[in-house]
Amino acid sequence: MTYKSIGKYIPFFGCMMTTKYPWFEAAVRKTAAKIGMELIDIDGFTCCPDPIYYQARDKMEWYTIAARNISLAEDLGYDLITTCSGCTATLSEVNLALKEDPGLKAKVNERLKKIGREFKGSINVRHAVTVIRDDFGFEQVTKTVTRPLEGLKVAVHYGCHLLKPSRVMRVDDPNHPTILENLLKAIGAEPIHHDKTMLCCGKACMSDAIPEQMIMDILETIKSREADCMGLICPTCFDQFDIRQIILGRKHKKKLDVPIIYYFQLLGLAQGLNTKDVGLQMHKVKADQIFEKVLA
Amino acid sequence: MSSDKQAQTVKKHKLNFAFREKLGTFAEGFRHNYCYQCGACVADCPASNYSKEFNPRLIILKALLGFEDELIKPDSEIWSCTNCYTCSERCPQDVRPVDVIIALKNMCYSEGKAPELIGHISDTVLVTGVTTKITSLSERRRQELGLPPIKGYPVDEIKKIIEAD
Ligand code: SF4
Ligand code: SF4
Repeated sequence: MTYKSIGKYIPFFGCMMTTKYPWFEAAVRKTAAKIGMELIDIDGFTCCPDPIYYQARDKMEWYTIAARNISLAEDLGYDLITTCSGCTATLSEVNLALKEDPGLKAKVNERLKKIGREFKGSINVRHAVTVIRDDFGFEQVTKTVTRPLEGLKVAVHYGCHLLKPSRVMRVDDPNHPTILENLLKAIGAEPIHHDKTMLCCGKACMSDAIPEQMIMDILETIKSREADCMGLICPTCFDQFDIRQIILGRKHKKKLDVPIIYYFQLLGLAQGLNTKDVGLQMHKVKADQIFEKVLA
Repeated sequence: MSSDKQAQTVKKHKLNFAFREKLGTFAEGFRHNYCYQCGACVADCPASNYSKEFNPRLIILKALLGFEDELIKPDSEIWSCTNCYTCSERCPQDVRPVDVIIALKNMCYSEGKAPELIGHISDTVLVTGVTTKITSLSERRRQELGLPPIKGYPVDEIKKIIEAD
């Protein structure tokens, strides 16, 4: 493993964040710089490809497209950092599978040779929150805070692919993690760990009824715990809880009103950015009111 | 599923052990052979907890016995898996049930028996390079936020590398 340096990273923002939720990307870029992460943008990435639909289509194609993306970062030798749990799932799993299995790596490289590329297995793939914890530390996060989010109760939603499969991710205890709670405490917020904190958002499930019940259960639990919002780290989970919350609230005639906030938006607010800088006004479930108390 | 119902299901079908060989041609399509049917994968499976129809242990059993007509179709129970990987955390035999389910999904796709959405979304990657739509609105929003413009995606390279040799 060659580490050029800690502090420089190649960001992989993926499809969803660059096209549908660019304000999440903006929040990452603005906050990461303050923590001391240098992001080196490179050209040529495609979809990771997604671990749900593309992986279900053809795993060999999935390995190959992901390996091509990783090989672009290998050219520079810096770790690839992800900001979406879907990208994290695909790129981490493919990176490890190819490192572990020389036969598979050879097959994939046979395909990559057609475009003059090669997967070497020389870098790591890490979610941005892992990079913050391991390369900078929670105290460094706190040092960048100018406006601690005191009194803000944030219901934690882990999402599956930061932690699982733990054999691949190696980030935290997959059953009793602490990374997101600590990141919230570092910006002065109060993490609420509830009994649905570890439940999946249901995006990959192709039944209608199963994810619908899961989402309702999670949101109602958060409401009963009187949290101000849900905090998460994945745009796909965000999709499930923000837009679908409106749809499901109407269907079940329930007023849910649980604002859904991406961690880097919270970090940005704590670093003094305003709600517009991090795109809070773009959310379907309005979040402005709860931040009046923080930003006052 | 109660054990009575399970026994009925098993009786109804012909065993087809050749199915194991066929599944073995797909990536990770061999891991079910390690299963000893302990059921540890079931308790924390969200799809099982929210639907009586879904049970990863039974999916693995059906794969072992070769119940192809139940597993390989667009409305098979396998499509209700949420890809959460909890079963892989719990399994003492390293079956990684979700990876076997993905191998079953790959078999469905290769035989034209996957739900349409799978082809629809994955084809988008081959046409545009991404899964989501790039609209003039997304471009404008990026500009407002001071983000770099979206550059083109190397779709030709993707097409070349997915061709099997
Ligand atoms: S936990 Fe593993 S060994 Fe036990 S039933 Fe599930 S797949 Fe089989
Ligand atoms: S990944 Fe495993 S635990 Fe999760 S829904 Fe699918 S079968 Fe159940």
